[in-house]
Amino acid sequence: MPAVARSRVRRWRYFFILSGLSGILLAAIAAIWVVHLDRVVTREFQGRLWSVPARVYAAPLELYAGAPISANDLEQQLQALHYRRADAASGPGTYRRTGNAFDLQARRVRFIDEQRDAQRVSIHADNASITSMRLADGGDLPVFRLDPPVIGSLFPIHGEDRLIVAPAEVPALLREGIKLIEDRRFDEHRGVDLYGVLRASWANLRAGHVVQGGSTLTQQLVKNYFLSDEQTFGRKATEAVMAMRLEAHYSKQDILVAYLNEVYLGQDGARAIHGFGLGSEYYFAKPLGELGPAELALLIGLVKGPSFYDPRKHPERALARRNLVLKEFGDVRLIDTAVARREAATALGLRPPGGSYVPAYLDLVRRDLKRNYAEADLAAAGLSVYTSLDLRAQASAERALTKNLLRLDLKSTVRGQHLEGAVIVVEPSSGDVVAVVGGREVDTSGFDRALDARRPIGSLVKPAVYLTALETGRYTAATLIEDAPIELKLADGSVWAPQNFERQVYGQVPLARALAESMNLATVRLGLDLGLPKVAATLERLGLESAPTLNPSLLLGTVEMSPLEVVQVYTTLADGGFRTRLRAVRAVLNEHGEPLKSFKVQVEAAAPPAAVYQLDRMLMLVPTHGTARGAAARLPPGLVIAGKTGTSSDTRDSWFAGFTGNYLSVVWVGYDDNRDTGLTGAQGALPVWADTMASLKPVSFDPIVPDSVEDRWIGFDDGLETNPTCSADAVVIGVPKDTRLPVNPKCASPPSPHVTAGDKIKEWLKSIVH
Amino acid sequence: MLGTTLLLAGCPSPWPRPSPPSSPGPIPPAQPPSAPVPAPSVPPAPPRPQAAPRENHLSPATRSLVTQAHRLLAHGDIDGASSTLDRALRIEPSNPLLWIELGRVRLTEGDAHQAEVCARKALALASGDHAAQAQAARVLADALRAQGRNPEAQEVESRAYLP
Repeated sequence: MPAVARSRVRRWRYFFILSGLSGILLAAIAAIWVVHLDRVVTREFQGRLWSVPARVYAAPLELYAGAPISANDLEQQLQALHYRRADAASGPGTYRRTGNAFDLQARRVRFIDEQRDAQRVSIHADNASITSMRLADGGDLPVFRLDPPVIGSLFPIHGEDRLIVAPAEVPALLREGIKLIEDRRFDEHRGVDLYGVLRASWANLRAGHVVQGGSTLTQQLVKNYFLSDEQTFGRKATEAVMAMRLEAHYSKQDILVAYLNEVYLGQDGARAIHGFGLGSEYYFAKPLGELGPAELALLIGLVKGPSFYDPRKHPERALARRNLVLKEFGDVRLIDTAVARREAATALGLRPPGGSYVPAYLDLVRRDLKRNYAEADLAAAGLSVYTSLDLRAQASAERALTKNLLRLDLKSTVRGQHLEGAVIVVEPSSGDVVAVVGGREVDTSGFDRALDARRPIGSLVKPAVYLTALETGRYTAATLIEDAPIELKLADGSVWAPQNFERQVYGQVPLARALAESMNLATVRLGLDLGLPKVAATLERLGLESAPTLNPSLLLGTVEMSPLEVVQVYTTLADGGFRTRLRAVRAVLNEHGEPLKSFKVQVEAAAPPAAVYQLDRMLMLVPTHGTARGAAARLPPGLVIAGKTGTSSDTRDSWFAGFTGNYLSVVWVGYDDNRDTGLTGAQGALPVWADTMASLKPVSFDPIVPDSVEDRWIGFDDGLETNPTCSADAVVIGVPKDTRLPVNPKCASPPSPHVTAGDKIKEWLKSIVH
Repeated sequence: MLGTTLLLAGCPSPWPRPSPPSSPGPIPPAQPPSAPVPAPSVPPAPPRPQAAPRENHLSPATRSLVTQAHRLLAHGDIDGASSTLDRALRIEPSNPLLWIELGRVRLTEGDAHQAEVCARKALALASGDHAAQAQAARVLADALRAQGRNPEAQEVESRAYLP
């Protein structure tokens, strides 16, 4: 063999050995890489698959004889809870209605304090309230609650909200439809679809640009989970390997359900809408299971380009896309072609503003969780968060705000700028927050004005001044004070000369009138006499969390507070001086139904009940004789309410804070950029407040008279004791028992003999006995 | 019996009771010189709006919930009892009898301060209802004693809401 040939053979041999070795090395590296990706993919997927978000519930509706729930209300509630009306009650989740009688098969439900089994009950109602209830077997049933409605899901730690859908909850049309549109060979391929890639490449080649993506659902899922959006070869390869590893470990069903829960479907302000569960709620305000073919087709069509096909911003594009999807459904007989045509003729049917989608309330829930629970506890899977949200109150507040802001915008001279507003409704005695509206666009979770907009509260501060006065014992509601000009030299050398809103001066007025008509001069004089630190201390006792600056203008409400902070302060006034910490979250249960440890609801005695009663009596005059007289026209006749208007300087902020016997609400109206609204508290916030309350079945505010206090009549203008038959302007005030009030000489009855307390009791006893 | 009831009824409060002021008051510069009150002296003419004596009851709904709370408490389920009473309070937020029950649960739980506040709230709401006041006073006295505030507890008891 010639040397040349030998050396050539040797060279070949080296070449083969070398390439063999490097091949083995490459294979080893590739294997390590695949094993690594495999690990990443399974760990993450396992985590996601089992990271079940906390489910958030609204308050359950309590039924009992006398509860103000009419037969029609009840049926509406049952339908909102997806109870099905059936001719004969047939299994849990159904009911039968005959006239005003209901035969209800309630589902098995977990409540904060009990697991209740499925139960059959009969309920009678009339057109105002529940009249009687029994168990179906005839047993007593004094009180019964409906299922708590689900209002959302969230991961308590990072606050993301999802509405995770379980495999059984995926409608068949969604399952088949998404495969049809996004990945026809999903059931056959093993993560990567070579045929799909070839088909897509061919189509792209013919079109000269990218018209089709060859990604499988699995690849899309992997991309969503792990990878950035860049289109490099390396990323594509990683994606393909991960997709194949995922397919090797998990069933097609797991992967499809994970995809449906993960896919991006749109943007709501700062918040991404992921998953069909949330998408369904966000676009249609319905659970996924209740969507029809057209609605499912819209969501499926959105996957291709959520912002390009955004049905709110580009309704024509969205409609065309939806109808294309419907046509494909018909072509492959997923649905009848006739149905496809009929559905294509329907409107988009997007959710009107409102409904059960409550981002502002969920903000408060997140805040409560963070404040009252240990982070480690919240990391557990499958938590249930029980809140105080009352969906009916929420809807009322949203309606009242939207309607009134539209009306006020029409009257406003400001163009190109919309008024904004916020409403909070609470039950003062429990501190339960039942509704939160963070802005007029009630369906976006952008800036939450109810929680985060801190604005000067104007005259809402005045009750704190008057309460401080009553607490000293030196003043009663009848005490005369001077409403006269006042000038103050401030620390910085400037002179402060406040004025009344109407630029008038009223002279000698009783406390009750000065507060009802919100007189600035009288209030400043009173507040200075009491001392700023005392007034500030009262505000803090009532619930203000940060100490206000001790500037005389504090007395006219330059202090800035959020609507939520105002609610906290007024709740103490509405509840006889007891301060209850506001709360949205009543309890959190773990997956075994055990409550997580939380900070307990704290009630504190913050102000003496006797002084608070006297103040409340004065606040009841605001709507009858003072600045809130406009409320009556929007409220049920005869309803007694108490409250206070507030207007900040240059009418930038319009406020009303007030309460009935069952609810307290605070409303703010203004512009986001702080410009002049031209609206007083009575013109802007009060109508929103009154409309909200009017639809909440309000009962009259009827505070309990403390033992040490009694009610008396005085003239609203002069503060002299009188009686309603004698003076047209007679009003009721509360005063410490046996207070000597100067009497209106024209209204005095002939002097009666001096009576002792003992005589009075004897007299009273006689009147009882006989 | 009723007579003593009335004489002794009164609300112990954490604040000194303001001495009944006479009007026109002494202070503000705005006040007119305190001229003697003109002729028609004590008691002034007008019929005063009178608060009628009251008696508090539990409705069938809240009574059944209180019974359930007692049952839970007997099984040592304090959280459950407390949630059940919360539920009753949502139906009748101003019923002092429910606040008395909640005060007792707080005592059992060892939270004497919250028990005290519940009892004070019950006392305020029970104004005019001697029987409820007596019960609330008993819880209040226990809550004060549990905090080592024996003299205050004695003072509450000496007001003799208790028969």
